This record gives sequence, structure tokens and C-alpha cells, in this order.
Amino acid sequence: MSEQTRTVRLPVMRRVLEANDDIAAATRAELALRGIFAIDLMGAPGSGKTALLEATLRALAGRRRPAVLVGDLATRRDGDRLARWCDRVVQISTGDGCHLEAIQVRDALAQLDLDGVDLLFVENVGNLICPVGFDLGQTAKVGLFSLTEGDDKAAKHPYFVAEADLLLLNKIDLAPHLSFDRAGFEADVRLLNPSVPILDISATTGEGLDAWLTWLTDR
Amino acid sequence: MLGVHEFSIAEGLAAQVLANAPAGARVREVEIRVGALRGLEPEALLMCWDSVTFGTPMAGAILQIDQRAWSITCSDCRREWTSPVPFVSCECGNATPIPSGSDELDLIAITVDEVET
Ligand SMILES: Nc1nc2c(ncn2[C@@H]2O[C@H](COP(=O)(O)OP(=O)(O)OP(=O)(O)O)[C@@H](O)[C@H]2O)c(=O)[nH]1
Ligand SMILES: [Mg+2]
Ligand SMILES: [Zn+2]
Ligand SMILES: [Zn+2]
Repeated sequence: MSEQTRTVRLPVMRRVLEANDDIAAATRAELALRGIFAIDLMGAPGSGKTALLEATLRALAGRRRPAVLVGDLATRRDGDRLARWCDRVVQISTGDGCHLEAIQVRDALAQLDLDGVDLLFVENVGNLICPVGFDLGQTAKVGLFSLTEGDDKAAKHPYFVAEADLLLLNKIDLAPHLSFDRAGFEADVRLLNPSVPILDISATTGEGLDAWLTWLTDR
Repeated sequence: MLGVHEFSIAEGLAAQVLANAPAGARVREVEIRVGALRGLEPEALLMCWDSVTFGTPMAGAILQIDQRAWSITCSDCRREWTSPVPFVSCECGNATPIPSGSDELDLIAITVDEVET
């Protein structure tokens, strides 16, 4: 008896990243059950993600019980900086991965004692492009831009802007030294995300951080 | 680091294709649909797909990428059209029509060789 092959087209209609989405959904359910508000903090390399978290942890000391996961390509530096302000920090070494995935967040959370924790910050890998496409199970996505990157970065990263629940514009202390078109930046943001709040901050001088802390407290 | 992003997507896609292909079937073609928001680089994804599927039953399978365009709406003259880029001017002179794009990333179908006995 001879074998014959036949070519068939099989409709599938499933999400490509379904495996990641399933893990993220389980994480989201677990965090909700524990009453933990989880932020996926995304921004370009050097935009000030770690600096913002340092200032935030310092300000929240004694008021909230935060935990932090920090993705970094090759070093432990960010984790060490944050461990000075928070006793629940897990460093996720991503190697050459350019974004965090849900499985890394799930595994890092498993290393933490989450009892009593009410706030989770995840510092994503410094990258404006791909972290936004990978659900981690967060409650909110916070996008961090900084003045030194230039005023065209919102327009150049539509997905990042469209998906953000809050946008922070960092390093405003440097405004006198730069020609950043603040109105043009906001106009680009509004075309992509009409309702997202934009808060101007300086992680190093503390300017504008009250509004960010209020946003956090309101969650 | 460019392209690493497409590499993870190619890996996710290969896993999803394998999960949906009949056991042992040779995969000939894979069709995906990608929303404009994703900003995916088709060339980079094709390269990553070739490298991820090398030595698997999907090796050599053609990857068809249906990349959706941006929908553009002019709030001045109500004109609507599609564009490969989000920021474009309208014929009426409005420099800021509103772009909207979707973020789907879906495996639509696979074409396989099935062995009949
Ligand atoms: N002037 C000024 N400098 C800042 C501010 N925020 C951060 N920086 C500086 O910017 C540099 C990068 O800050 P980080 O907090 O390491 O940035 P990051 O986004 O965590 O960087 P990666 O984790 O490497 O992606 C440091 O030298 C900070 O001191 C700010 O508000 N104003
Ligand atoms: Mg950092
Ligand atoms: Zn990536
Ligand atoms: Zn018009």
C-alpha cells in the first residue's frame, strides 16, 4: 500500500503570544486576590526608571509595603540601588533579552514573600519598543520619557504611548538646557492616547513627584 | 539589539504552530495577522522565523504576514483612509488627522502536508 500526501489549510485563529498571555492572566488574578497594585514601568535606557523607583520607595517608606522586580541585561546594579530602599527586591537577569516576559515575572514573584505587600513595581528592560507587547500581569503600564531623549519620542513609539495608563516626563530639571517642545510632545501623545495623564517630574530633584505619588495612592 | 524582539515573537509563533499542527505533519505555510500598533518589522520577523524553525517540521515553511495599516480619520473634513504610517496630513490641509491601529498578533491558519494511508 502506498502512502500519499495531501495539502490542507487548517484555520487556527489564536494569539501568537497565547502562552505568555496565559501566564500573565494567572499572575494578574493572583495579584488581584492579594490586593497588590502592580506597575510595569517602561522607558528608554537611562530615562530614569531606577532613579524614579529610588525616589518613590524613599517617599513611600512606612506608608506602603512595596516589592520590586527589576529586569536588567547583564548587571545587578539597579537591584543593588533599589535594595537600599526596599527589602523585597528581585533582580531578573535577562541576558540578551530586550524585554521581560510573563514567565520571568511569575518566577521572580515566587522568590518573594508577598504577605502584606500592597504595591509591586516591575522595572522593565530599558527599551521603548518591545516590552509593551508582552503582558506581564500588571495592573497598569506606566511609560517614562525623559527630556534628554528629545520631543519626538512619543510620535516614534505609537504602541508605547497608546498602551500607557500613565505617562511620566522625567528630567524636567534639565529643561533650561534643552530645546524640548513640550506642547508638540503632548499633541503627539493626544493623537495616540487622548486620555492618558502626563506628569512632569524630576526623579533627582523631586519636582512633580507629589502628583505621581498621589496617582499611586489613588489606585 | 534590533530584531531580538522579532526573535521572541518567532519563538512564540513556532510553539503555537507546533501546538496546532497534526502530529508529524510537514508545515508548508503559516499565515499571521499583525495590527499596525505592533510596529513589527516583517523583514526581521522573516529572518528570525527561518532561524527558529531550522531543523524542525516547520523548516522552509512560508510565513505570510498580513500587516494591517493605520486607519486615519480627519476630524476637519471627515475623510477616512488607511496609511502605513500613523502621522500624515490630510488633503484638506489638516496636519493632524487622528491615527488608530489595532494590536492583534494572531496565527490565522497553517497549511500542512498530511499523510494519507
Ligand atoms: N538631571 C536628572 N538626571 C536624572 C533624572 N533621573 C535620572 N537621572 C540620571 O539619569 C541617569 C540614568 O538613570 P537611571 O535611573 O539609571 O535610568 P534607567 O532608566 O533605570 O536606566 P536603565 O535601567 O539602564 O535602562 C542617571 O545618571 C541618573 O542620575 C532627573 O530627573 N534629572
Ligand atoms: Mg534602571
Ligand atoms: Zn524584546
Ligand atoms: Zn481633512
